[in-house]
Amino acid sequence: MVSIRLDKVTKRFGKVVAVNNVSLEIEDGKLYVLLGPSGGGKTTTLYLIAGIYKPTSGRIYFNEKDVTDLTPAERNVGLVFQNYALYPHMKVYDNIAFPLRLRKEPKSKIDSKVHEVAKFLRIENLLDRYPHQLSGGQQQRVALARALVKEPSVLLLDEPLSNLDALLRVYIRAELKRMQQDLGITSVYVTHDQSEALAIADKIVVINKGIIQQEGTPEQIYENPRNVFVATFIGNPPMNIVKGTVLEDGTIETTGSRLTPPPAVLEKIKRLKLKNILMAFRPENAVVSEHPMEGRFSPMGDLFEVEPLGRDAVVTVTVGEFVIKVVMPTREAMQLRIGSKVHVNIDPSTIKYFDPNTELNLEYIEA
Amino acid sequence: MKIRKTSLLFFLGPALFVVALFYIIPLFLSVYISFTPMVDWNVNRYLTQFIGLQNYERLFHIVMYDPDMRAVVITTVVFVLVTLVINVFGGLLLALATYFMDEKMSAAYQGLWLLPRMTPIAVYSLLWYYFFHSSGIGILNSILLKLHLIDHPIALGLDPKYLPWGAWFIIIFVNGLVGVSYGMIIFYSAFKSIPKELIIAARVDGASTTRIIRHILLPLTKWHFTFVMVWQMFSLLMTYAQTFLLVEWRVVDSTWGQTWALYVFRTAFTTTKDQGLAAAASTFLSIIGIVLGIIALKALGYEKMILEPKGDI
Repeated sequence: MVSIRLDKVTKRFGKVVAVNNVSLEIEDGKLYVLLGPSGGGKTTTLYLIAGIYKPTSGRIYFNEKDVTDLTPAERNVGLVFQNYALYPHMKVYDNIAFPLRLRKEPKSKIDSKVHEVAKFLRIENLLDRYPHQLSGGQQQRVALARALVKEPSVLLLDEPLSNLDALLRVYIRAELKRMQQDLGITSVYVTHDQSEALAIADKIVVINKGIIQQEGTPEQIYENPRNVFVATFIGNPPMNIVKGTVLEDGTIETTGSRLTPPPAVLEKIKRLKLKNILMAFRPENAVVSEHPMEGRFSPMGDLFEVEPLGRDAVVTVTVGEFVIKVVMPTREAMQLRIGSKVHVNIDPSTIKYFDPNTELNLEYIEA
Repeated sequence: MKIRKTSLLFFLGPALFVVALFYIIPLFLSVYISFTPMVDWNVNRYLTQFIGLQNYERLFHIVMYDPDMRAVVITTVVFVLVTLVINVFGGLLLALATYFMDEKMSAAYQGLWLLPRMTPIAVYSLLWYYFFHSSGIGILNSILLKLHLIDHPIALGLDPKYLPWGAWFIIIFVNGLVGVSYGMIIFYSAFKSIPKELIIAARVDGASTTRIIRHILLPLTKWHFTFVMVWQMFSLLMTYAQTFLLVEWRVVDSTWGQTWALYVFRTAFTTTKDQGLAAAASTFLSIIGIVLGIIALKALGYEKMILEPKGDI
């Protein structure tokens, strides 16, 4: 099988730098998700790996082989597009057989391979249809079959689920993950949907403005974001950010409340001579109540809105200039009165601290 | 219901009026004139005389026994067939070439090929008049003389030595050069409307440029091909403006440089001014055109194109 390595890869389109000096290692047999907002450079990165674009500078390796100057076919990649890009004038069978026919494989071999992959993806009964006679989910499978029939070294997926309706997306997501694990094929998956990334990835690579913001397991990315961008991109709703002032006595003051940070954080604040600090916490790590709670950091604010989402509710509180969203059980949230004074009780051990100048998580700044 | 009809008439009226005035009425007039013995535009005298199919009989007789008219028929067939092939396949080649160029280059290149179409017909014809002029000042002649390929100026379109090929070459060349840009524009925009992912997918599947052309671009633009083919066939059957000027200015022979459409025009307006005969010839040409058009659409599977897609989307 194949591992992929990008070595200081840059791609420019005219004056625009789409991918900026990206180095990345994709392990053999793992599913990597490139996650980021649109225009962030993730699809460009995928096309660079596929060989559709040539990097402006830098090299790309499959295992130890330099593939920078090879065509997509020579790299043997399978690619699945958001709009599936099935050939509309060919039947499903011919769509799947197309890459094999280009390789001039014998007819009988093509036939058995097409049927094998069609059986694997459960689309054998569709082989005789045209793409426009299929539903979105079926087209998606055909696109996948066309990518897999080549037995590619790498499977590349460009927003493969974005054209499906929400319910179907959740089902096919699980199928994709299972299929990838069964085949053990090195895969790179591009999406802008953070929940999709968290659900499916072995490793997530967050990309924005052509630069890798953070690379890690879904847990690492979720629990300990490297910078403010990752913190506010991942999670639904994402992390709350509150700005505080560092006082002489080593406490942090924000909107009239005080907090004593852990000693390790305090040490870094002192060394970096920070006067201000950004604090971030997840919506599920706080509870809104009428009275402050024991052992919690509890700034006060006004209850703006409660949105029940079934079991949990999203509670929005304005604390000074900040808008804070908290996820808590609906039953408790419904006890609160809109417009009343409330406390946001944050578990202090879950608070992450960021340098406001570099927007970096203090834990990622070398001691 | 009554209100709807009046508003319908109000909105469609102007367009219907223009179509009726400039297309429908002339069509019927022309068919009607073919049943009268009209000559010299003597409307008062001949418009009310009905002579049945006499003009068609004369036309048939001329085609059968007049060698000059035979030349017109052969010239028309050769001209339409060869120019059609040049226009359609030349346009296709240009569209493919510009499709694979980068944007700026392709725009400039297409602009260049559109020049003949943007030039007024008289100016454009004048250009080729000078180019093919039978004296030493003719550009072609002076080039050939300089290269010592000939030792005295030749009249390519007139000299019986080169007929009919010389005259054919000139009218096909001049009309073909105008015609290719039409196919080029249609095919180019058809290629551009194919989702880019399809081309990328084919590349990833290992298709070379020729494979992409053969398996993706051409099959997906089949209907554009049909349309350009039929459209160009009609316009070549009916066109005469450039050829008329080249004949009038004596660049090409009036017999071997004359297509059926030009014969109609000249018979009605310049040579014998026999409008009855010209109208019969033009009606005949229209029938031929319609029949050929239907055959072409049938052969290229036009019906399949306008069928509703089956199944769910």
